[in-house]
Amino acid sequence: MRNKLFFLTSVSLKRKIKTKWFVLANILLCLGIVGIFNINSIIKFFGGDFDEPLKIYVMDETGEAYDILKEQIYTVDKGYYGEDSKNYEVLPYTEQGEIKEFIEGESKKYAFIIRNDENKILDVTLMSDGFIDTIDYQLLSTAVNNTKTIIATSKVDVSMEDVEKIVGPVSITREILDETKKTEDENMEMVMKTVFPMIILPFFMLTIFLVQMIGAEVNDEKTTRGMEIIISNVSAKTHFASKILSGNIFVLLQGGLLIVYFLLGLVVKNVLSSNHLFTGLDTMIGGTVSKVFESSLASQLTYVIPLSLLLMIITFVAYSLLAGVLASITTNTEDFQQLQTPIMIILLVGYYLAIMASTFKGALFIRILSYVPLISAILSPSLFVVGQIGILDVLLSIGIAILFDYLLIHFGLKIYKVGILNYSSEGLWKKMFKALKQKS
Amino acid sequence: MLKVEHVTKYYGEFKAVDDLSFTVKEGEIFGLLGVNGAGKTTTFRMIMGLLEPTEGKITLDNKKIDYSVTDKIGFLTEERSLLTKLTVYDQCVFYGTLKGMSKKQIEERLDTLLEKFSITEYKHKKIKELSKGNQQKIQFITAILNEPKLLILDEPFSGLDPFNIELFKKEILDLSKKGSMIIFSSHRMEHVELFCKKIVVLLHGKSVLAGDLKDIKEEYQKKNILIQGDFSLDEIKKVKGVINVTQGQDYIVKIENGDVVPEVFKKLRDANITKFVVEEASLNEIFIEKVGEAYEK
Repeated sequence: MRNKLFFLTSVSLKRKIKTKWFVLANILLCLGIVGIFNINSIIKFFGGDFDEPLKIYVMDETGEAYDILKEQIYTVDKGYYGEDSKNYEVLPYTEQGEIKEFIEGESKKYAFIIRNDENKILDVTLMSDGFIDTIDYQLLSTAVNNTKTIIATSKVDVSMEDVEKIVGPVSITREILDETKKTEDENMEMVMKTVFPMIILPFFMLTIFLVQMIGAEVNDEKTTRGMEIIISNVSAKTHFASKILSGNIFVLLQGGLLIVYFLLGLVVKNVLSSNHLFTGLDTMIGGTVSKVFESSLASQLTYVIPLSLLLMIITFVAYSLLAGVLASITTNTEDFQQLQTPIMIILLVGYYLAIMASTFKGALFIRILSYVPLISAILSPSLFVVGQIGILDVLLSIGIAILFDYLLIHFGLKIYKVGILNYSSEGLWKKMFKALKQKS
Repeated sequence: MLKVEHVTKYYGEFKAVDDLSFTVKEGEIFGLLGVNGAGKTTTFRMIMGLLEPTEGKITLDNKKIDYSVTDKIGFLTEERSLLTKLTVYDQCVFYGTLKGMSKKQIEERLDTLLEKFSITEYKHKKIKELSKGNQQKIQFITAILNEPKLLILDEPFSGLDPFNIELFKKEILDLSKKGSMIIFSSHRMEHVELFCKKIVVLLHGKSVLAGDLKDIKEEYQKKNILIQGDFSLDEIKKVKGVINVTQGQDYIVKIENGDVVPEVFKKLRDANITKFVVEEASLNEIFIEKVGEAYEK
């Protein structure tokens, strides 16, 4: 019977994997993920106005501001966008005509007119054809203020060191009395709040794959009456086990492929930007990965990742058991599609609560729900990462999820045995309750 | 030998099969007949081990039918039981492996059977792309792939043309000669008459007629006389013991028993007769008489 279990499992897997749709879907997934990671490079590849540096023409009537401003603009640009950045090109205005006419109609040209001012030291006009991007304005404004400080410093005969002492920010030493909490972890909550929903998205997607795969297979075998031939040769228990096994192997395989596409995306980005795998990442996910590695969470990852994966696998099993049982009692594909809706709602509740966990910090309701099977795989690690529950709570969620799987196997199998050979929806619930009362 | 002994099956309060007993010996072809809801499919399912009888027992060679003996059984369901997205080859490998056959055994047997049924070109075609008749052939092939010791055929000829029915018949008779026990259900009584030595007729789950087909026909007194020629129909109708006369290709004179034949013949002595044949009542007539309604699936 064990050989037949492996045979049925392999047949189910082949039926899912050896299809052109599986290959096509994975090609699209791979391209999509690699594309998202390299969206900047893709956009840059096709070119556009953003590729040209913004030309800043300076009409300097003071005779001393141009060189300082030029250096400050380049410094600020590199400070914000990185060492290789060349977003601005600063040039002196040497044309004969009016500067207004020179700038007019040119979206990539700005002009600074700098004059002496008795009260404010410098009088600066920034001229552009249209609106100025907020970040550009902030950077140029910083560069102008720095220029003013340098010129002013030279005029009042105060050293730069003294100026820095005066204008430099006060360094605040943080002291947190709870020894388990570190200051560098403070922003993790905010990071995880925005990024965690994206990280758990694959789990969401894989669960949908799993439910649909098992439901479609059981339904197909049942509606074609192939089930009668199969069940006359292998027990319902073996058949059920083969569906659960193949479904879970499939999602783990698909999950593994998603990780490969993720890594491939990183490698391609690394190659394109010639940066270190993580330091070069300026996307939200990349930034989060970097921050996670810098925080104390990194030391906890050695057990957080395995425990989260374990909880996810146990939850995959629970969803597959539920999908198998529900598919067995339906008599056609449409019925199963309708029964999928509550499963999707359960998934969405978990997803929504994971997002809301940071907003409702310390909410008892969310904490209790983090122990509830089917939801816990999403909610429990989310709450742990943002520090709202401890490792013991995660372990408790795992224990409850295992118990839930056991109960689903114990009672679900009784329903499955009756359901797969039942072709009538008449008195369905009565039949199922009767099945539950039967001895295993 | 297959033994069905005092088997009763309840679905809740509903009695689907009521104290049914019969045996099928090696090489025998057995007919299980009945109208819709008579309990045939339930009986087949119980034999296959898909359902547990509420009472009674079913044994194959004195062993309860469980997964240790199902490799020796072939089952053709009334509805298509093929996974239509698979190819013919994959389907046969799938069901064959479940019957405990090796891939090599399946391939050899499959090639032989595809050849016999003249459908070798469909080996790697998807089942859903085949015609209904060819799908039925594949379903039959999957049922006999393992050369079963016990073969259960629920309406095997559905969707088949006369030529293919002959192919099926030949294969069924070959299996019977090799010693397979065959249980057969069909709504075509001429098929049952051709194949089956023994029958059981079910009505509301209960056996209303059982035994050797020859004996049943002999016990059933009513006969038919087939006549062709010019004669007075009214004269024949007046003969005592004539139930009715219907006209088709021949005149069919239904009579109460064999004693009526000489009386009918006397009336035709001076007529111009080209055909006079006395035949036993058909199984269909016996069935209708016993079951009390037309056999319609």
